[in-house]
Amino acid sequence: MLVFAASDKGGTGRSVTSANLAYQRALTGDHVAYVDFDFGSPTAAAVFDVPGAVRGTEERGLHSYLEGEIAEPARIDVWRQTEHPLLRARPNQSGRLVLFPGDAGGGEFATDDDALERCIDLLLRLNGEFDLIVVDLSAGRSYAVDMVLAATAHPRMRNVPFRWLVFHRWTRQHVIAASGLVHKEHGIIGGGVERGHDEESLRAAIRFVRAAVPDPESPLWSQGSPAQAAWMQSCDEALRRLAAEHRIGDSVVLGVVPLEPILQWREQLITEEDVLSTQIANKETLEALEEIARRLTDDSYWGQP
Amino acid sequence: MTEAVFRETAADPRTQAVPLAHLSLELGHLYMEDFEAGPERLRQHFAQVRPWVDAARAAAAARAGGKRPRISTCFLIDDYFTRFSSPAELVPLLLAEADRAGLVVDYLARESGCAVTGKVPVAEAVAGRIVESPPPGSYGLRPPAAQTGWLANGVRSPVARAPQAMKKAAAWQPPKETAARRHSVFLDVELWSDDAGGHRTWSCPFLAAVWQLARLGLLRNEGEPVFVPQPHTAPGFPDDWDELPALVRLNPRADPFAAYRTCSVLPSRFLPVEHAVRVILDQTEVDRGALRQVAERSAREQVAVPDSVADRVSYVFYAGS
Amino acid sequence: MRALEDAGSAPHAVLACGEVRTCLLPARQALDVRAAAQLLGLRADERVLLSERPNLYARSPDTLTGVDCPLPSANGAHVRAVGTVAARAALTEGRVLQTSAYFRLPAAGPDRRRPWGHYLVRPGTVEPFGKLPHEAVAQGVLDGGRHGELDVGLIAGGLLTRLLRHPLLDQRPPLRSRPTRLRWVALPAEGGEGPSIERFTLAEDELRTVRLRVPEGTPAADAAGLCDDLALHDWLLTTVVRLLDGIRLGSEPPSARVGPGTQDPPAVVRALRPAVDHLLHLWMPRARVAKELAPLWEALEERPGFTRQWQALVQRIRDQLTLHAIPTLYREVEPAP
Repeated sequence: MLVFAASDKGGTGRSVTSANLAYQRALTGDHVAYVDFDFGSPTAAAVFDVPGAVRGTEERGLHSYLEGEIAEPARIDVWRQTEHPLLRARPNQSGRLVLFPGDAGGGEFATDDDALERCIDLLLRLNGEFDLIVVDLSAGRSYAVDMVLAATAHPRMRNVPFRWLVFHRWTRQHVIAASGLVHKEHGIIGGGVERGHDEESLRAAIRFVRAAVPDPESPLWSQGSPAQAAWMQSCDEALRRLAAEHRIGDSVVLGVVPLEPILQWREQLITEEDVLSTQIANKETLEALEEIARRLTDDSYWGQP
Repeated sequence: MTEAVFRETAADPRTQAVPLAHLSLELGHLYMEDFEAGPERLRQHFAQVRPWVDAARAAAAARAGGKRPRISTCFLIDDYFTRFSSPAELVPLLLAEADRAGLVVDYLARESGCAVTGKVPVAEAVAGRIVESPPPGSYGLRPPAAQTGWLANGVRSPVARAPQAMKKAAAWQPPKETAARRHSVFLDVELWSDDAGGHRTWSCPFLAAVWQLARLGLLRNEGEPVFVPQPHTAPGFPDDWDELPALVRLNPRADPFAAYRTCSVLPSRFLPVEHAVRVILDQTEVDRGALRQVAERSAREQVAVPDSVADRVSYVFYAGS
Repeated sequence: MRALEDAGSAPHAVLACGEVRTCLLPARQALDVRAAAQLLGLRADERVLLSERPNLYARSPDTLTGVDCPLPSANGAHVRAVGTVAARAALTEGRVLQTSAYFRLPAAGPDRRRPWGHYLVRPGTVEPFGKLPHEAVAQGVLDGGRHGELDVGLIAGGLLTRLLRHPLLDQRPPLRSRPTRLRWVALPAEGGEGPSIERFTLAEDELRTVRLRVPEGTPAADAAGLCDDLALHDWLLTTVVRLLDGIRLGSEPPSARVGPGTQDPPAVVRALRPAVDHLLHLWMPRARVAKELAPLWEALEERPGFTRQWQALVQRIRDQLTLHAIPTLYREVEPAP
């Protein structure tokens, strides 16, 4: 299964959250590929803590592959090559977790028909090898979004299931922007239909993830005054109404990731260790990630809302 | 395949041999404009061809080392790009004009037979055998998007492509002939064009290259010879080109159609086309079985045949258009 | 195939090199002979070789790729070479797809490039400029060259990519698997000795290297045929080992992967079933290896024992499936609750 991670804006936690989802699925035994199509700022290496391994791949990443400079993009076995001490001890019964990095220093580029064919070649190859392929896409209406919409509409990919996750923060601007990315003209649905997708099935394959959502009940805010709590509560309700009006209401939300302080400081994988022994991360965050990871392939969360 | 006892025919490729002459001598191509210019044009053509034909025969005899060389003559009529006249009208006229110049046309071929002979898509098969000459630095990576339908004798000038954001676009560079001696004579040949309906038209140089391969006895379809001459037994010629076989043997006593070498006597306006033919032949991998048969046969006869297929082809260009 | 040796006036080869890519055909059903011929019909005028004994096998005609670049070499020697690399594809039992690219190198060549037609009548031959340091080049090929040096794997990979784009393939592989690469070199055997495998190395996850010694005059295509056979069986072992590695034996795990449906067979059965359907019948070493090279398999049967390992894996899969069949039988006689 292919999972595309998209967002309208930067700073939505798209990359770090989708990387955590990939990690969670690998822990449950799936073979997982993480494909960095964030062409303008290929940074997945930092999340997986593999900067050293990425340094050898400047000219052998996905940019070079799609432009036809190389025949196969570099791959990084995260368990083996990470500098994160906890990850290096690959948990028993976990599946493979392989990162496909972009070229370090690569930029956004206009994709052509050849790049599209190569993109399809790659996605099909990965589909034969991995249980789950997470594709992190450049923010906004990008070449990357365009390319994968065209790829998944291509006859060669007719039998490859795919799903979309659209990440957004829980603010007025982000809600409106995320809805626009999906529903507005030349958005994911409109653009997808132009490229040959069926509107209904494409819509049924898109779910939203609200990221960095402050939970008014959380101990994080328990120090606040009752007035603050009431204000937050009413904001939250107003945002829910706004989201529903913009067709990204609760029925199409796959999950909510609470505001997690350590992710505000540093994009990283959240391990059980971070929650249990060092306690630098919140239990709720890890649980939310585990749950979203599970729902990725749980059909009861997908389809027509 | 490893046990002699057990054999599967589908697992055992065979190549059928064709009879071979020493020289296939082409007396001309006929296009509509030549025909429209009237019988005078043909008369002039054959008159100008005649001395060069004698010279080519003499040269072949010298190469054969005293033995009588087997030489066959042929003539090609374009019925592919434009249809004009009819075999019934044209062929007798052609033969009469050749005869007036003291020439005998042993074999007559239709150009459309170089595209498709019977049910065999000859041109398509030859197109599938093109192996591009690698410019220095070719290490095995598939060249990015070949210009489909074109074949060059070197490296094309790079196409300006939108670079990655914030990277510089490359500056213009000249094209380069791979086998250049200091300076390039770069040639880019159009092999075919497709119309909006998907119908493919093969280019004149490409069909001419197929024609050369046919005359060199190097065309096969699944091991079977293609372009096999049909005897002409009927009293006259048909009214429709399609009813005429792609290759007809007009002279029952003719030497074999295919030969170790070819020579074509053509007006000099064909020079660019034949340059293109050379570019194509130089990058076409011919049937290995056929190639081997020619090598073995010529070795037995002690006839020197150049290795390179393009070098087996020669021309005489006479002044004129 | 023999034509490779006797085409033109090529001198004897002192080195043959190649690389084989092996992968599962990404199609729900194995291809029948006709479909296989369609997939592998790389040329309109050349037949696909089809064989039904001792197993279903189809092989494409050879295609050529021109190269002009330095050869990889272990000692850093810079040797430019020009010529053609031959590549072909094969499909075994309509299920395992292999592409194989290879070339042979004579001991020496002219100091400058000749007209291209010269190389085209020597298909599968790459001529060095000057003398060939064949031992250093052999090692360089096995180690993998630097960027810009002749990479025969790219040619095998390019052909594989081309075939995988074929519309016949529905892109629904019956099981997850990884392609493997097997890189090989064949050096001349000492004196009058017979052929031998000097080394078979499992290098990286997906890379194997093989170093052969073969008597003078052994066709490069025969060496390639042996290596195709080694690669096929190594891939089978690798794939089945990984399949067994990935499943949790014993009781059903409360995994997120397991669907809620109660009628589904247990995860172990679902994981192993494709191996039974698609892989277990493919083991047939030496099926198409040239007679002179077939004995080389014996070394691998001795150590590490390819067929021994395969039989153990097959037995394990059968045992697992038998075990899981038992409770079902019991359930059938139990009264409905």
